[in-house]
Amino acid sequence: MSERKTYKKRLVIVGNGMAAGRIIDELIARDTVKPKSGHSLFDITIIGDETCGSYNRIMLSSVLAGTTSAMSIIQKPASWYAQQGMRFMAGIRVTQINRQQCHVLCANDERIPYDHLIIATGSRPAHLPALNQNIAGVMAFRTLADVDTILSLSQTAKHAVVIGGGLLGLEAAYGMAVRGLQVVLVHRSAWLLNRQLDEAAAAMLARVMTHKGVVLKLAAQVARFNGQIRVESAQLTSGEILPCDVAVIATGITPNAELGIEAGLQGQYGIAVNDFLVTSDPHISAIGECAEHKGKTFGLVEPIWQHCISVADRLVRGMQTAYQNTPVATKLKVSGVQVFSAGEWLTSPEHRAFIFVDSARNIYRKLLLKNNCIVGIVFFGDVRDGQYFFELMERQISVIQAMPQLLMGRRFCTQLPSMMALPMNKTI
Amino acid sequence: MSSLITTAVPEGTLQQQATSINKEHTTCCYCGVGCGVTATIQNNQVIAVQGREDHPANFGRLCVKGSSLHQTQHSPERLLRPRVHNQEVSWEQALSYSARSFQDIISKYGPDSVAFYLSGQLLTEDYYVANKLIKGFIGTANVDTNSRLCMASAVVSHKRAFGSDVVPGCYEDLEKTDVLILVGSNAAYAHPVTFQRIAKAKQERPHLKIVVLDPRRTATCDIADIHIPLAPGSDAYFFNGLLSYLAQHNYCDAHYIAEHTQGFEAALSAAQKQVNNIHAAAAACDASVDLIAEVYRLFAQNKKVVTLFSQGINQSSSGVDKGNAIINCHLATGKIGKEGACPFSITGQPNAMGGREVGGLANQLAAHMGFDDQADIDRVAQFWQAPNMAQTEGLKAVDMFKAIDEGKIKAIWIMATNPVVSMPDADFVKQALQKCELVMVSEVIADTDTAKAAHVLLPATGWGEKNGTVTNSERCISLQKGFLPPAGEAKHDWQIISLFAQKMGFKGFDYLHTIDIFKEHAALSALNNTRKQTPARAFDISAMADITLKQYSNLLPIQWPVNQANPNGTQRLFSTGSFFTPSGKANFIAITARLPVLQAQRNEVIMNTGRIRDQWHTMSRTGTAPHLLAHTQEPYVDIHPQDARQLNLLEGQLVELGNRGARYIGRVKINAAQRAGEIFAPMHWNAKYASSARADALVNPFVDPICGQPEFKHTPVSIVRHNTQWTGFLVTTKNHEPQCDYWAKITVQKGYVFRVAGVQSIAFDHWLKQQYPEVEQWQELQDSQGEYYRAAGFVASALVVVFNANQGHIGPTESRWLNDQLGESIEDGVRYSILAGNTGCDDEDQGAVVCACYQVGTNTINRKIRSGCQSAEALGQVLKCGTNCGSCIPELNAMIQACRSTGV
Repeated sequence: MSERKTYKKRLVIVGNGMAAGRIIDELIARDTVKPKSGHSLFDITIIGDETCGSYNRIMLSSVLAGTTSAMSIIQKPASWYAQQGMRFMAGIRVTQINRQQCHVLCANDERIPYDHLIIATGSRPAHLPALNQNIAGVMAFRTLADVDTILSLSQTAKHAVVIGGGLLGLEAAYGMAVRGLQVVLVHRSAWLLNRQLDEAAAAMLARVMTHKGVVLKLAAQVARFNGQIRVESAQLTSGEILPCDVAVIATGITPNAELGIEAGLQGQYGIAVNDFLVTSDPHISAIGECAEHKGKTFGLVEPIWQHCISVADRLVRGMQTAYQNTPVATKLKVSGVQVFSAGEWLTSPEHRAFIFVDSARNIYRKLLLKNNCIVGIVFFGDVRDGQYFFELMERQISVIQAMPQLLMGRRFCTQLPSMMALPMNKTI
Repeated sequence: MSSLITTAVPEGTLQQQATSINKEHTTCCYCGVGCGVTATIQNNQVIAVQGREDHPANFGRLCVKGSSLHQTQHSPERLLRPRVHNQEVSWEQALSYSARSFQDIISKYGPDSVAFYLSGQLLTEDYYVANKLIKGFIGTANVDTNSRLCMASAVVSHKRAFGSDVVPGCYEDLEKTDVLILVGSNAAYAHPVTFQRIAKAKQERPHLKIVVLDPRRTATCDIADIHIPLAPGSDAYFFNGLLSYLAQHNYCDAHYIAEHTQGFEAALSAAQKQVNNIHAAAAACDASVDLIAEVYRLFAQNKKVVTLFSQGINQSSSGVDKGNAIINCHLATGKIGKEGACPFSITGQPNAMGGREVGGLANQLAAHMGFDDQADIDRVAQFWQAPNMAQTEGLKAVDMFKAIDEGKIKAIWIMATNPVVSMPDADFVKQALQKCELVMVSEVIADTDTAKAAHVLLPATGWGEKNGTVTNSERCISLQKGFLPPAGEAKHDWQIISLFAQKMGFKGFDYLHTIDIFKEHAALSALNNTRKQTPARAFDISAMADITLKQYSNLLPIQWPVNQANPNGTQRLFSTGSFFTPSGKANFIAITARLPVLQAQRNEVIMNTGRIRDQWHTMSRTGTAPHLLAHTQEPYVDIHPQDARQLNLLEGQLVELGNRGARYIGRVKINAAQRAGEIFAPMHWNAKYASSARADALVNPFVDPICGQPEFKHTPVSIVRHNTQWTGFLVTTKNHEPQCDYWAKITVQKGYVFRVAGVQSIAFDHWLKQQYPEVEQWQELQDSQGEYYRAAGFVASALVVVFNANQGHIGPTESRWLNDQLGESIEDGVRYSILAGNTGCDDEDQGAVVCACYQVGTNTINRKIRSGCQSAEALGQVLKCGTNCGSCIPELNAMIQACRSTGV
């Protein structure tokens, strides 16, 4: 190391999920001196507790459903890091941050010093208020390892219970149903995807899921899991018992913020960051699902990509690119059906709602207007022009003149609302 | 006379035509132009029509209606079997029941308790048999026809002046004249082919002056040098003024007056007393002095002048006088019986003149004989061997329906016409029929407004099936040929009447073919028809009395008289100055012009009624052809901009007219071609095609005291904006009556479009679904504020209905693309577009159809005009519009003009 002409900043990234994978890409893209040549600006170390390289977590459901292989979703195999001149510590958990001495302590007792630390520890399934959930067969749906386990269980299992009617739960249920299991999906709310869909759209989704063979238990909660070593059934608070060989918990996520919080970083839900993703310690950044920005945490990839841009700009170029917590549209594909949801999703008396329904084709499109501008989009089954409406919503452009034709899509309109009405950076 | 029946001739040779393609010459069944048509037939269906090249009426031309003849052949609404009290029965049952009922009524109340109401749509042979039956055998002259609504005035004008109901000239005169004055004639719409001939003549001889006298600036004015928008009903003042002018400026033909006329002094004195100079004429006609002077000069200084007059003259409470005021001017200048010079009454219907020839009106007897002369009555009685000859005139149309209402007439047989729509005070007619003991209707269409009132409904053959002769406006007799088998159990009208007559026990009705009837008719026209070596009666087709079947079946068009002196027919009459009056001289009639019966009161406007370009009469047939509803789709009201402003009416809004407790709802068309205070409403719409648009229900039953023709052209009506709360359209495969205050039906290729509107807000979804319980799948677009609603209904994935509505009076955008999806099994990719109403690609809607022949729309045309097409011909070259029938050329010119003036 003594031969180095210039001192390289030691950059340590804790976590190797999608945010970590992305920040590396952003850094490389900006670093004119390629790290491979040994002349990088940074000396980068990535520490992840999963054994493989960075993979596309979003594709886990495809792997579960059997439409994609596990190998093909891995974006950065272990060998890749070495080729890039980076150190990749796989399967190793960081247990502590020593901010005074600027190093992190790993579970293998190794200390890794840093000049700058990026925490990208992601999140874990939220806690389920159910008894006896630590027995075998009760599991999460977060990692390739989870998928491996579910798949191996599926070889013998007949019955599955999925808890959580959000995207992840729906995908898990769908994936297992496709694999031939008899799946019961338990959801706490009265309808599925209740943070994205209204009751009518969710009813269509319910029809689709039912058609795939998934039995729905809505407005239901699991009180406990039964079984000694292995799960045998899930018991609902109503007393109903759902026999199962495997139970997948997908009830939302909790940021993995403890590493930072225990080191004294600020934060209520996650690790608090400013507009430049800097934590309360200027040597430490946090990105992704473990971060908390203005009191909000994250669950979709789009804002996280913005995190990575901001951090890379700052670290490589010294540029201050502020991250803006702009609303994000939820674009999903649930068991082959597309969903686009943004802004408000429940109709209230203050809204003017335009709704298109084709029940026989499971198509539902709703625009919510306030003051003649879009404030909510709920599209199910046919999401054409979703992004266009999203932009109209973002820019608060009056659309009333083009209604109701516009709801059918802009290619059916001869006169479209002018996009020039307001500047682009207008936010709601 | 049954002795005239020689051999039994088998009906037609229809079977041979099964698969091969062949062509048949026939005539069009619509207007009085009487165009020759060549029909192409395959598999017993007319697959195409074209104008007959060698027919003197049209020389190959056809209008939009004529060009669509084959499209009205397969109406789903065709009446196929006899019905009695709405039950299908056999012919035997239907005729026995009818004949028995007639006999019962006659035996109880006498022959004057029954009546026939016929039609200018009947063929001469049908007409002849009907007239013979009722006047000669039943014993009453209570037989009138819808020609009463159309030609009665002209008939009497002719008889008064010429001693006979004769149109002296021919179509060629319209082309060969130097001054053509059209009075009360929108020939461009009502007689399109004649108009095209005039337009062509004008093009070839630009010095041919064309003058239009009409309160409206109609499409006919497109080719006019002068248009005088005279006050409605002031025509006789105009012609009295002309007569005064001719005398004052020594333009009268003293020699002709002396040699060939009588009564000139009295006529001139009456004219001068009323309108003795140009200024008086201008004041009476509410027209420009200069224009009137110019037209008077043109008439006076040209030898070749034709005055072509039609319904604007006839449909009046003083129509007979108006006709004579015109004829007086022609007699005073000798402008009659010469090439390019005559007064010319153009008829409305294909066989109005044929009806007049057989005497099918209540005040006629037969073959131009009348009830005035006992010798005529006896002669006809003897010829027919009539056991019960009527001795006096019968009731004319308006009085006939009044007599039904009063219970004096207890049985009526209506043939081929729709008086519940077409009579003045039509709601009264409807009520009267409801009171009538026996209403028989012979029809082609099952559910006309009149057919709905029938106790006995008899299926008649239609165009292409029936065989017989018609006579057009220029006295030209043509064969309307039968070349198709009758639809269902339909029978020819002459057969139905003959069978009925036989059921009643009468002899002399055992006809086997129309030629039997025609020959009898021709023989009657010859009977004692001489006076001093010249015919006593103008109508003389004696040379045709021995016609062979071969000649008859291949009849070449021929103008009567057809007699020994003129075996090849007669192009013009009165060329020698000899007339059919007892003295042989033409009569001047002293005319004191009168205005219409009622003038508008406060808050009233004057309603004028008339034809639109592409519809015929009450739409029973033409309403079923999508082509023919593309030009004008909905009932409307033309209104002057100033009136629209005062009444707070906007273009496209609905407006409500009222009179006699009836109402007419139509779309506002702001039109500077109207005079202020006067509106125009089309006469065609009936209760099958619109909720409230039977214009004639508002027309007062005021008639000309001499001829009984009603005043259709001048009705004061109330006018108010329709209180439209919501507006929409239904595109549907189902023919029904939407449950709302206003609807109008438009036939399209695969179903119907209904324009709908309501005066009360409704829950759109509920309203729709109630009317379409059969729909299995609904696609809907809802607005939480209820301002908009759209829905599409499917049965087994086939589109059966689309409803699109919104609050307010401006309806949602329609699209032809959507109409074309009806009944189709819609793929998912397209299904989504249904509620959008378009496929979403760039192909812009072509707009309202202007050229019906080639289906070219306003948007397409305007684009071409903007890109440099500056004449109708230029447009025709690129778009074909206007190159077939030419009916739209005035509109094309107007669009070019509009484009120029707005500089767009």
